[in-house]
Amino acid sequence: MSIVIETQNLRRCYGTGVTLVAAVNGISVSIEQGEFTAIIGPSGSGKSTLLNLIGGLDQPDEGRVLLQGQDIAAMTGNAISDFRRDHIGFIFQAYNLIPVLSAHENIEYIMLLQGVPKLNRQARVLEMLGLVGLKGLGHRRPAELSGGQQQRVAVARAMASKPDIILADEPTANLDSKTGAELLDLMRKLNAEQGLTFLFSTHDQMIMARAQRLVHIKDGIIEQDESR
Amino acid sequence: MLLIQLAVRNLFRNGRRTFLTCLLITSSLVVMILMDGLILGMLGVMVGGITQTLEGEAQIYKSGFRDRFDATLYLASPESILTVLDEDETLLAYAPRVVVPAVIGSSYNTLGGLVYGVDPEKELAMSRLRQAVIEGDYLSNSPRALLMGRLMAEKLEIGIGDRVVLTASAVDNNELVQGLFRISGIVEFGPKELDESMVFIPIEAAQALFHLGDGLHQIALRFKDFKDANRSDLALARKIKDDGIEFKGWLALQPGVGAMLEMTNYATLIIGVVLFLFASLGVINSIFMSIYERLYELAVAKAIGTRPAFIGGLIVLEALALAVMSCGIGLPIAFCLMTYFAANGLPLGGTMEFSGVVLPGRLHPELLWYQFVQFPLYVILLTVVAAIYPALFAARIAPARSLQKAL
Repeated sequence: MSIVIETQNLRRCYGTGVTLVAAVNGISVSIEQGEFTAIIGPSGSGKSTLLNLIGGLDQPDEGRVLLQGQDIAAMTGNAISDFRRDHIGFIFQAYNLIPVLSAHENIEYIMLLQGVPKLNRQARVLEMLGLVGLKGLGHRRPAELSGGQQQRVAVARAMASKPDIILADEPTANLDSKTGAELLDLMRKLNAEQGLTFLFSTHDQMIMARAQRLVHIKDGIIEQDESR
Repeated sequence: MLLIQLAVRNLFRNGRRTFLTCLLITSSLVVMILMDGLILGMLGVMVGGITQTLEGEAQIYKSGFRDRFDATLYLASPESILTVLDEDETLLAYAPRVVVPAVIGSSYNTLGGLVYGVDPEKELAMSRLRQAVIEGDYLSNSPRALLMGRLMAEKLEIGIGDRVVLTASAVDNNELVQGLFRISGIVEFGPKELDESMVFIPIEAAQALFHLGDGLHQIALRFKDFKDANRSDLALARKIKDDGIEFKGWLALQPGVGAMLEMTNYATLIIGVVLFLFASLGVINSIFMSIYERLYELAVAKAIGTRPAFIGGLIVLEALALAVMSCGIGLPIAFCLMTYFAANGLPLGGTMEFSGVVLPGRLHPELLWYQFVQFPLYVILLTVVAAIYPALFAARIAPARSLQKAL
């Protein structure tokens, strides 16, 4: 399998002087195509920081993040925006969606940014809505959907741009266990059927139970990298 | 299209805030239009008061005459000038006049004043002399008829039909001359200095009394286009101006009024700037509130690949939509108010005299098309300019930090 993401000696510090803290302290990790990986660790261990660095949402102080061989840590401005749009799908804890757009429009949004022709967009949105089990609910605005349904729309949106990897930061944090489990099963299914690469940052036992690989982080360094 | 859709929908997310910001912009626009209309209306009254009461929009006279109304400085042979005036197409009307300082006496009292020799027919199109008659008749056919200001008549304790003796120096030999006239009418212009110091007699009688022959002291002019009076490149002025002959528009005749007009323009500008500054601060505040409210959402949008320029453009477009909506509401309101006040006037609480001009008890704003085109454009432009800083802020949102901060 090919490597989708590779970090090399990634370091990210916050604060200055005596308050300087290395949230990520020299992490090197590779994620392969089709993996269902979870970065786990206690609060403040640096897992979200690592995910942000991998997703190009933050810039490292040292080291490189290679996505399909390109160093995204060196990208700025429109280049990094376009790269995220075309190569990375994001799912956050909550409030993922644009409230003034319907579920359909939220999924379509990213393709509009990509400049996908209208007919293709519409077909893709319907396909995504079907995949996440929200057929017929596309016209609803986020406020008219349950938390679980909103996260499903977020998954559909993340997949719509056909990214190389989907990064999910605590995607089940705001869901009840049943809904969370359903969402994770959906993502696991998409991973298995479509070969989509998922990388989670979590301390949710349900995600850990479903992950093929667990990367344990503590104090900004990898403590254990466990494949199952 | 997506940008417009998002901007318009975002505008209605927080209805109360949008309404309040809209109210602020709308109010500024309405106040600005009303204020401009009222100032123009007031200036119109003031300038009209000066130019239409008696002075005219421009005057031709012998150099030095207006400095102290020296009756010996007169246009001895005005025929050529009158011919030019008759042929000029920019003029609406003109009125030749004789103006001589004189002692005006009744059986009870005497006063110093100015005797105006006027052509009753030509004054009809030139001044408000006819409309100023509050008692008696306008200058009749009688060569001995005289119109007198109300305050002067009160001081001389005389009325319609009473005799008045005018005493002055003849312009040719400085000999004292006297003429007996009878009051045919009492006039009231409003300004005190006019009503207590002027009498009007037929021009032929004045020319004969003061030994002027066909001579004139001034020719008052009114133009078809009011602005021509102060034009420096006016062809008529070039034709008439000669050694010893002055041609002056009302701004030059009344430099104090010109300065006041300039001051009023500055005052309007300052008030406008302050008004729009407050509105802009309100807009900036409102936009920032909306950005902070959506910090997480904007961070997510940026995280999933929205370019900074798109986010900034969205904020500017929201401001633009807000400004357009405010103008859409403000313009009909301003138009209705302006139309109402233009017809009915804004009560000022009684007449007042200002710089020698009487302002009426009600001020009628002047409604002009530019107020409904320029001011909304200023409002839109300023709102958009006000949105630039918040837009840059939004465009520079760092997703990772904002996502963390907003949660």
